[in-house]
Amino acid sequence: MTQRINAFISKNRRFIPVTVTAVLVFVAYGIGAFLFPAMRNPQVFLNLFSNNAYLLISAIGMTLVILTGGIDLSVSGVVALTTVASAALLRAGWNAWAVIPLMLLMGMCLGSIMGSFITFMKVQPFIATLAGMWFARGMCFFISDDAIAIENRTWSILGETRILIPGLTELAVKQGNPAPYISIFVVVAFILLGAVMYMAHFRRFGRTVYAIGGNEGRNEQSARLMGLSVNSTKLLVYTFNGFCSALAGICWSVFVSSGHGLYASGFELDVIASVVIGGTMLTGGAGYVFGTLFGVMVYGVTQILIQFIGSLSSWWTRIVIGLLMLIFIGVQSLLAAQKEGRQKVLDEQAQAALRRRRWAYAFGGAAVLLIAVLAVNLVPPLLGSGQMATAESGQCEVAPFREAEVADLIQGGAVIAYHRAGGTRCVDELYAVYPDGRAVASADGQQIESQVDPTDLEKILITISDDYGWFTDNMYSTWHNPCRTCYSHYLAISYNKKEKSVTAVDGGVDMQPEYGYTLSIIRPILPKFTQAQ
Amino acid sequence: MSESDNYVLLMVGISKAFPGVQALDHVDFTLKKGEIHCLIGENGAGKSTLIKVLTGVDHPDSGTIILDGNEVQVKSPQHAQTLGISTVYQEINLCMNLSVAEDILLGREPRNKAGGIDLAKMNTEAADVLDRLLGIDIDVTKPLNSFTVAIQQMVAIARALYVSSAKILILDEPTSSLDANETQQLFKVMSKLKEDGVGIIFITHFIGQVYEISDRITVLRNGKLVGTFETASLSRLELITKMIGRSLDELEKMVKVKLDSSINAESEAILQAKGLGRAGAIAPFDLELHTGEVVGLAGLLGSGRTEIAALLFGSDKPDSGTITVNGKPVQDHSPLGSIKRGIALCPEDRKAAGIVDDLTVRENIMLAIQANRGWFNFLSTQEQYDLADRYIELLNIATPSPDQPVKNLSGGNQQKVILARWLAANPQVLILDEPTRGIDVGTKAEIQKLVLSLAEEGKACVFISSELEEVIRVCNRIAVLRERQKVAEFSGEIDEKTIMHAIAESES
Amino acid sequence: MRMTKSSFTLRKVTESRLFFPLLAFALIMLADFLLIPGFFTFQTRDGNLYGSLIDIFRNGSIVALLAIGMTLVIATGGVDLSVGATMAIVASVAALLMNPYVLGKELSPQTLSLILDPHFTWQPLWVVLLVTLLVAIVCGLWNGLLVAYARIQPMVATLILMIAGRGIAQLITNGVRIQIFYEPYSIIGQGWFILPFSLYLVIIVYVLTWLFTRKTAVGMFIESVGINARSSFFSGISERRIKLLAYTFCGFCAGIAGLVASSNIRTSDANNIGWGLELDAILAVVIGGTSMTGGRFSILASIIGAIVMQAVTTSMYAIGVPAFALGAIKGVVVILVILLYSEQVKRFFQNIAAERKETQP
Repeated sequence: MTQRINAFISKNRRFIPVTVTAVLVFVAYGIGAFLFPAMRNPQVFLNLFSNNAYLLISAIGMTLVILTGGIDLSVSGVVALTTVASAALLRAGWNAWAVIPLMLLMGMCLGSIMGSFITFMKVQPFIATLAGMWFARGMCFFISDDAIAIENRTWSILGETRILIPGLTELAVKQGNPAPYISIFVVVAFILLGAVMYMAHFRRFGRTVYAIGGNEGRNEQSARLMGLSVNSTKLLVYTFNGFCSALAGICWSVFVSSGHGLYASGFELDVIASVVIGGTMLTGGAGYVFGTLFGVMVYGVTQILIQFIGSLSSWWTRIVIGLLMLIFIGVQSLLAAQKEGRQKVLDEQAQAALRRRRWAYAFGGAAVLLIAVLAVNLVPPLLGSGQMATAESGQCEVAPFREAEVADLIQGGAVIAYHRAGGTRCVDELYAVYPDGRAVASADGQQIESQVDPTDLEKILITISDDYGWFTDNMYSTWHNPCRTCYSHYLAISYNKKEKSVTAVDGGVDMQPEYGYTLSIIRPILPKFTQAQ
Repeated sequence: MSESDNYVLLMVGISKAFPGVQALDHVDFTLKKGEIHCLIGENGAGKSTLIKVLTGVDHPDSGTIILDGNEVQVKSPQHAQTLGISTVYQEINLCMNLSVAEDILLGREPRNKAGGIDLAKMNTEAADVLDRLLGIDIDVTKPLNSFTVAIQQMVAIARALYVSSAKILILDEPTSSLDANETQQLFKVMSKLKEDGVGIIFITHFIGQVYEISDRITVLRNGKLVGTFETASLSRLELITKMIGRSLDELEKMVKVKLDSSINAESEAILQAKGLGRAGAIAPFDLELHTGEVVGLAGLLGSGRTEIAALLFGSDKPDSGTITVNGKPVQDHSPLGSIKRGIALCPEDRKAAGIVDDLTVRENIMLAIQANRGWFNFLSTQEQYDLADRYIELLNIATPSPDQPVKNLSGGNQQKVILARWLAANPQVLILDEPTRGIDVGTKAEIQKLVLSLAEEGKACVFISSELEEVIRVCNRIAVLRERQKVAEFSGEIDEKTIMHAIAESES
Repeated sequence: MRMTKSSFTLRKVTESRLFFPLLAFALIMLADFLLIPGFFTFQTRDGNLYGSLIDIFRNGSIVALLAIGMTLVIATGGVDLSVGATMAIVASVAALLMNPYVLGKELSPQTLSLILDPHFTWQPLWVVLLVTLLVAIVCGLWNGLLVAYARIQPMVATLILMIAGRGIAQLITNGVRIQIFYEPYSIIGQGWFILPFSLYLVIIVYVLTWLFTRKTAVGMFIESVGINARSSFFSGISERRIKLLAYTFCGFCAGIAGLVASSNIRTSDANNIGWGLELDAILAVVIGGTSMTGGRFSILASIIGAIVMQAVTTSMYAIGVPAFALGAIKGVVVILVILLYSEQVKRFFQNIAAERKETQP
């Protein structure tokens, strides 16, 4: 009996990683369903797919790239660019059904450009795709500084369409619950999954993809010698990933009904993690597209569990995913160590030693990480640092600058008009100060006023203008990826017949000292909202 | 002539020169249909160049290739395949992660009506190919890396035959990674192919196998054809002689060289190896090194010489036996440990294991000394340049300055730089693995003289070389290896004949 | 043969590792000089020097610090993607040690005034610095063990800390951005002694690193391992220990960079500190001419590479290029630089140079 099991395992050894992931998904979900009754609602399970459809779509394309032994860091940039470009086009009145193919084409173009650099100019994949990501994000801001809302009927339909699951509908109706559904993009993702699985196993293109990866590049040489068209396959793989990124971007923009260059920050890491956890080796050549589905599900289940546990913040997702990646990479390395291309009798001992070492490091490392995580979590309360804050690191929506309103205020006679957004409490405040010393502030429907001594105001304006050089070229707008709890500032000053507005964001080094000084002398004269900042 | 109908391949007067070396000099080679023809020669003999010419990797400077009666120009490896010339190299040129069936059929996979790959058909076809052509039966759905090297080679052969209607199959050192059983399996397959009329060129350095399987033998030496012989009518000794020795007549005429043994009664054993061995590399052996002597390791390629060197130096760990240095047993087998104990190794592969090509001459020379001193005890700039200058002069290294990157030097000078590195470390024992390979005659002589002078200074040297003449001239004692075993040790008056007998394991 | 005295020939200059990065920097400065009036003006205030050029050096100091450590890692043939995450962890630890009273809840007025007091810190500054740098070293050790001893590919191994590290940083502060009010700490990033303090920091770290790599055998061993690990093995050099050292040191540099960054914004921002900077650091090293396959390295060239990148950024801002477009321009610059350093182009230049060289003996 054990013999047959062993034989079965050794014959299907390559399916172990995928199986482990699949089991992990269901075990985790099972534990969750046991602990949290709400998770037993089938809708929660289905939301796993609906909420992560874009991750799945992107991960499918990424799987092919990683199988060839490459990597694509540009996905987040292409996703963001797609959201912004489609929002801009829709706002300009384009037909949704013209926008979608155009976006997909754009993604493919970007992908093929990067693919050409990688294939023909022999640029390392992670540098080429990194450059691509910067470029794509930069292009976002060429199109628009701020978020663009999408108010397109087709987009709304795509977002709100519920596809009911046959079989579950009657059950739910009987229980008086709404019928469980999935979003349209889940169907799209699964169709894509099926198509790519077919390609991967039943078409020469797919087999060439596998042939290129792994074995530290030796497989690629062999593939060339075998007469396979390695170059065109590599190029196609990156082009296809561009397509997937664009498709994921469309899904994203439908999801959030807007487009902004700051979306999908860090997305590529989530995608890569999903692929790795799904059993595909980062060195290429081994793994299954089907496994990526489970990798995405692991990501989704982790998020759901963390949501339900409640006391953990969402960034725990990253830690868990990182830990899982470590374990999976460790397992992969172990399995790989036994499959080295040249198996000489000589190396058996060395390989066994290597294997043992890798087990030790993988599990030792995971143990250390786990202990560290637990320790850091438990130690502060033991030290009596008082209240354990459970403040969520608030995730502010990136608020676009209220440029028009600020301009109006200046028109209306204000000498200082200031818009501040973000911060720990996600504020969105608009201030104006008038020559007579009246200072007005509005936020969340509240409006407060205060009074400043006009002579003090005059002194402040002089300082801003002369000492800090507000109206000179030394004061210029800066911007960087704002942290979720940083303030972003939009400040307009009108003085001595000169007008100038400058933007800046906290949390970086590029905000000029003079801007900081300006803010620091303006803030004291502004009215304060009652809640402590 | 009906004779020529039997020949599937005729290579006539092939010459090929590379910068600085004549790799092939008017070499002829013939291959009959349904024969196993062994191509043999030591390193640098020209075997690989001949094969490269035949497979289109290189183009000959002169000569003709006649395939099946037609003159051809083999333009590229792909072209060679279409012509029916297939090659299976020692390093398997297949994709390890694909299934056996795919490795055999990919590029010509059977399609189903939808245009996709018909997996079932591919699997049955692959199994059929393996059975029909090679007579083996394995699970073709498993990935290639789940099989042993022997099976991987079979699959490589299967692909080679399947992809081109192979008339000629070239097997380049196929048995190096195989054990006895697997070798037999391979030979069975080769016999089957021979029956089917395939002409097989079998390149190997295992003399025993040559006699076991081949019909004819072609010996190359230093780019020239020594001769083509019927295996049955060539004795081992004659073969060895043709490969590495002078002709027996010449030998009879030569004065026996008396090896100058400067070992006196008091010279101690610096290093003693007892029962030292490593599975798959070298059978347990005993060896002693005394001050002031040069010990040679003689034997054919693959006989285990480099493996002995590696074990003595500690770059490989032994499975059995002990080494004692200056009376103390060695516990830590590592290059650094050996350096500290005064043992140095000049490795065989200059490029991969010797020079650090982007570093300068000066840095290469000081590397081992510095490793011995550790990270923080850095040689001062003055000391470095003094060291470099001293050895540049001593060994007559041709370089415009000590700051020249070593990769810009010629092969001979690179070898000198590596020698300098080890001499600078002032070892008691210096192991030299093929120090004169690929080096011009003048430098060769210099290095040989140097080894002798080192012995005079009281060091112990181990000298490994494929050139018997060199070994005899330089060494006091010679250990002979054959097929990964030390089989004999000679001292005193030695002549080539004795050594060759030992290698050929025949009676004198 | 006698040691040739170093001669100042044109070829020596063009072949020097510093040539390309310095050239790039000079070109950018030239463009600035021509296009931006007043770019090179300096002002003094309270005895300190200010100006656009100073800004470039100040703002580029973080990437310069990262690039110093990254150079050694890349010279061994590897890469470290986790430096940004290490910065975040270090920042969190530092903030926690100075201000462990986590904000977000109602605090009594006394506690509040205590925290806001710029002279208050829970642990003395030297403890803060010691612990944070130790933590940074541990991060580097972690990476080094995975790469050198477990033999996991560097990109893969450091990716793990890159992903998990930010979560760990959040964990340390329990998700809150801890603000640092302790005045002396802000000197690290914002201090100014004629020139910005961070600039001095870069210089100090550079000098120490230079001493450590060039006045000991470490630099040569790193290069040797990067060029040919096998030959180095046969010469008695331990590849594992060298690689472990490189990654540990890289973590250490990331730690210092993290202190500078968090001192700049006076908070620990686990989400955003150092975001994307690992890639800037790698690019700085590439611009500096160190090959990504390992081998010869020059730390000074990497620092210049970091300054070049910062110069591009600052110049773009000053010209008035919309700040957001910077990303796109950076992307194009990366590709251009890589291509410039690529094999094909190098060979092209070598062929030209070879025609003028005399034949080797």
